[in-house]
Formats: sequence, C-alpha cells, structure tokens
Amino acid sequence: MTTRKVFFAAALAVIAHAASAQGDPKRGEKVFEECRACHAIEKGSNGVGPSLHGVIGRRAAELDDFRYSPAFKRANITWTRQNLDAFLADPQKLVPANRMPYAGMPEAKDRADVIEYMQRILK
Amino acid sequence: MAQKLKGVDVVLVGLGWTGGILAKELSEAGMKVVALERGAMRSTEKDFAVPMIRDELRYSARNDLMQNPAKDTLTIRNNPSQEALPMRRLGSFLPGEGVGGAGVHWNGHTWRWTDMEFKVRSLYEERYGKAYIPADMTIQDWGITYAELEPYYDRFEYTAGISGKAGNIRGKIQPGGSPFEAPRAREYPLPPLRSSLAGEMFAVAASANGYHPFPRPTANASRAYTNPDGARLGACQYCGFCERFGCEANAKGSPHITVIPIAMRNPNFELRTHAWVTKVLKDSGGKRVTGVTYTSVLNGEEYEQPAQLVILCAYAINNVHLMLLSGLGVPYDAVTQKGVIGKNYCYQTGAGATLFFEGRHFNPFMSTGGLSMVADDYNTNLDFDRGPHGFIGGYSLSGGMTGGRPISFRPLPSGTPQWGKAWKAATAQWYGSAMTISSSGSVMANRYNYYDLDPTYRNAFGQPLMRMTFDYKENEHRMSRHTAQAINEIAKSMNPTSLNPATARTDPWTVVPYQSTHNTGGTIMGVNPRTSAVNKYLQSWDYHNLFVMGASVFPHNSAYNPTGPVGALTYWTAEAIKKRYAKNPGPLVSA
Repeated sequence: MTTRKVFFAAALAVIAHAASAQGDPKRGEKVFEECRACHAIEKGSNGVGPSLHGVIGRRAAELDDFRYSPAFKRANITWTRQNLDAFLADPQKLVPANRMPYAGMPEAKDRADVIEYMQRILK
Repeated sequence: MAQKLKGVDVVLVGLGWTGGILAKELSEAGMKVVALERGAMRSTEKDFAVPMIRDELRYSARNDLMQNPAKDTLTIRNNPSQEALPMRRLGSFLPGEGVGGAGVHWNGHTWRWTDMEFKVRSLYEERYGKAYIPADMTIQDWGITYAELEPYYDRFEYTAGISGKAGNIRGKIQPGGSPFEAPRAREYPLPPLRSSLAGEMFAVAASANGYHPFPRPTANASRAYTNPDGARLGACQYCGFCERFGCEANAKGSPHITVIPIAMRNPNFELRTHAWVTKVLKDSGGKRVTGVTYTSVLNGEEYEQPAQLVILCAYAINNVHLMLLSGLGVPYDAVTQKGVIGKNYCYQTGAGATLFFEGRHFNPFMSTGGLSMVADDYNTNLDFDRGPHGFIGGYSLSGGMTGGRPISFRPLPSGTPQWGKAWKAATAQWYGSAMTISSSGSVMANRYNYYDLDPTYRNAFGQPLMRMTFDYKENEHRMSRHTAQAINEIAKSMNPTSLNPATARTDPWTVVPYQSTHNTGGTIMGVNPRTSAVNKYLQSWDYHNLFVMGASVFPHNSAYNPTGPVGALTYWTAEAIKKRYAKNPGPLVSA
C-alpha cells in the first residue's frame, strides 16, 4: 500500500468518525423508539425505567423517585456522551448486574444518532 | 346484607384481555364502566422487574400469578359414572388472576380461527356425509364467518403487536408464510422473530418431508413497536421467560400495557381490584340482569353493583361457573341433552418427541414464548383427507423450544436414571443439546364432556364448585395416533443421536401434569337458543343485557391457541354494543 493511499483512507476515517460523533437526531428519534417502551422523556414520569429527562450530564441513579438497582447505585458514573455510548453498546459491561432488560445496541451509528437525539431533546 | 352502590352503565367481571378491550372501547364511547377484578393490580415496573420475575420456583412451580385453588377450584372426573374430586393443586391448566389476567403470563401465540371451525358441522357433513359425525359428537356451526371477523382479527393483532409472516394476503399466497392460511387484509404488524437452531432444523426436515413450515405468529415483539392506540412495546430480549411470567421488557403484547392503561386514564372507567363477583342478579321479570353482587376479598364486605349491562370477562371456566351459580339460562343435562349452560366443554390434545443431538448446541435459554416453526398440513389444510383416518379436526406440528427454564426443562433420553451421578452427567450433557417437536390438537365436542355444579364440594364463599366431566374420545385417540406417527417420521429423518419418540395419547385424561390452559365451551355461541347460550354477538339469548366474552363461547376446540378469536370477538362485540345496542337496547339477533 502506498503512503498516499494510507493517508486517503485515514482521512476518510476521520470524516466518518466526525459524522458519527455528530449523529443524526432525526434518525436518533426513530432509534429511541426502542427505549420508549420503558423510559419516558417527560420529567418525573418513571415507568419500568427512570425518566430520561435531563439524563445527559446527570449522575447515575440520581433521581429520588425511582427505585434503582444496587448496580446503578454503586456505579459512580456520570452520563456523558462517552459513558452513554459505552453503556448502550453493552449495558452489562459498563454497569455489571444492572436490571435493565436490554441486550445492547451494537451499531455505532445507532448509538451516535440516539445520543444526539437525547442530547437535544432530553435536556 | 350487601351494600347497594350507585348504578353504572357497564359492569365488567374480570379485567384481562377481554375486559381490558371492552373497558377501553366502551369508556371511550362515553359509557360509565366499572371493572371488578378478583385479583390484585399488576404493573411491569412493580411486579415484573428482573431479577425477581425470573424466579421459576415462585412463578412456575408455585404459580404465583395464578388462581389459588385453596379459595376456589373445580372437581374433576372423566365420565358421569365417576365421583368427581376437587383439584387441590393446579396442574393441567392454569387460570390466571389479577389485572391483565392470563394476558400477562401467556406465551403470545395468536392465531386466526377460520370457517374450518366456524362451519365445522356443515363442512364435514358436506364432505363426508352426515354419518361421518358420531352421534355423541355435539359439534355445531358457530353462526359467524371468517369474513365477518377478519377486520377484528386485524385489530387485535395490531393492538397486541404480533410478530409473524402472512401466508395469504387478499388471496395471494406469500412465500415464507402458511399456504393454508385464510386471506388476511395485510401483513402482521411486526416481522417474525429471529429463528432458533431447533426451529430451523425442524423447518428443513419438515420441508424435506413435504410439509410447509412457517414462523409461529406470536405477541413477542420482534422489534420496538407503537400500536395504533399509542401503547409502546419494547423489543423482545429472547429471555425465554414468557409463559407463567410477566415480561420485564414490555415486549409481550399484554392488556396491562396496552388497553388497560388507556382505559385507566379515562374518567368514565373505574377499576376495583380484590372484588370477587359471586352472583349476577336478575330482575323479577326474568328478562334482564340488573347487576352483580361482589365481595371484597380484603375485608369481606359485600356489595351490590347495579348496571345496565353486565359483561362476563373472567377466565372461560369462571364465566360458565358464574352463569350456573346465578341461575342464568338452563343448565345442560347430559342424559336428556336439554339445556345449554355447561354444554360442549372441550380441551386440547397433543403428542411430542424429544430429539438429542450430540455436539449440537441449541441454547434453549435464548428463546421466546412463541419461538418455533409450525406446520399446519394436518390442521388448516382443507385438502388433507381425514376420511381414511376417521377423525374430525386437526393438529399443528411445531419444532423448537419456548424456553429452557432450569427447573422445568430437563430433557433426558429415555432410560436415564432419575437421580444420582448418572442423572447429573446426563443433565449436563443434554440440557443444551436436545430439541423438541410437539403438536397441539383439536378436541371435538361430545355429549359427555361438560360442566355442572358439584353436589358436594364448595368454595371459600360457600358456593358449589364447578364440576368438570371430561375425557378424550375415540375421535381424539385416532387423531393422536396419526400425530405421533407424523412427528416420529420427521424426527427420525433428522437422524438424532437419540430419540424419545412421540406416543399417542389414548389413556384417560388426567388433571396432572400441565397440558394446556385452553379450556373452551360451556356458554357456547350459535344460531339457535335451544342449542347455544349466546348469539353471534356473544349476547345471552335469555337476557339481552348480559354478554359473555372469552373461549367459553367456542362450541368446540381447535388445534390453535384461543386468544386470536377471543380478542377478535371482543372487538366485534364492542362494536355491536357501541353502534347498535347502545342506541337500541334489545336482542341483536332475533331468536
């Protein structure tokens, strides 16, 4: 492989990475449907899972009116974009023994889009 | 003395699928609706969170979501010459209790029953002659057609979020679905679930043997889904804890996450839990019912709830029981064959094989309540000639497991020791390397299979227990022999390391172990008040303001699970009440 080709491939990767980090909130809203069966976006409205209103930047297990699992209580993490991405990719890896019945979102683009949507809507 | 409450438009006895649908539909139509549920409130967040809901001992072995036989049960016998004895532990069937009813802990199998059932007598008479139907086989046409019900099947499937593959859309056969399916207006709301190795191996073998396998339609959401009412379902996580459990992911189409919460938000609707209805009340003229009497099981207080309309929405057996306890309609008498209440009780039959494959890993714990492949070549296939085999009805074949729960799923080759070191070694070896082929078969109505009130035993309220008289007859024995043979042929063609073959079910029926919770009949529908309890709108022939929902209206039982037609008929009745009965109360069909 020539140097030029390597450079070109690397440049493409950078562009692709930038696009995925940005995320498409419109598509993310569709992806978020997977979450809606258990999580409300309205403040104070807890279902099977806690309300996700204002979740970005929130500490894990912070809401007073939701009964979190011990796993989340001791998780000691803040829901930054990076943590959310890691959590959604494999929920049991980032917070072992948590009670969320969800196997994970394997596609990086799905996660980027849904996080972008959450960032905008769930402030 | 019962405390008399303020009257309402509608009282619903029981709040599962049928009560939930009616609660939503009728309260939206402006009627004041009260639901009386004998069990407790149930919600996913409070009652079905993991890990608690995965307690197999509590929910499966000890039936935590089911009715308690210490309060009320049935007495059971095989034929009228025997003395019936109380069923003191649940076994063969598991009636649910609590808000959502059995719709909370079902597997989700949702089928469309067709004119093959609704016109059963005329169809077989036309094809095989009147003499083909045995004299004691009291099957009858239902008085409704598939074409009438089609839009209501569609409604229910889209409400519950059924995953499946259509086989026939408006007459056009669809690849991947069942070619024997009756025409449907459109696809299922959700695509089929991801299949399992066991299902795929069965499908390959069945196809090679000339069958037409397809994925089972089921209320396990293959992806996140918002139903037409706006209720949200999550995606199924393939945990395999459907039957006997609530779904922690809201991925199983259930009334407590669909129709019931919508009704609960309507000010016209009120739910009273722990309210055990003991009697439906009649007026002195004997033409109308006036309400119900119920007891709070929390404090023992008795109440009378007057209502313009009484709709029985409890479990099929309990609807019939309440009719008999309340003296509504003429009880069936097997000797004279007069009367209708209690008539044509039917169950289901089946046979199954377990196949062991050394070195294969089926991962049975990754499953759903409806994850299997089905072949209906001996069920809904009208071209299958029953004549040479001498039976009426049919059975569906299926391959694949609906879960690998650690207590109950212990497949072992015949001859394995029942305990000890060899048992442990075999359990470890075969747990993941065994698969099943099973079947579900119809049961035709028979003069001597029926319900009545037990003369001896009483429940916690001092009321006579329901007495069930049931056994399989020659028709079912013949079909079961045919089933076992068909299963074993497919099984052998798969070359398993070891095979526990299917055996025909010809011994007397017994109430243990678990078999199927598909009990039908007792308040059957039809066209003639002398031979049926309700008309095609499930309205009592005798009391026009009394309706009976659920599988007790089925005049016989098919191979299919009953929830599809139960849901469709409920939507059908809801529309008849809203559009016709509410404007002009009276019989919807003239007798």
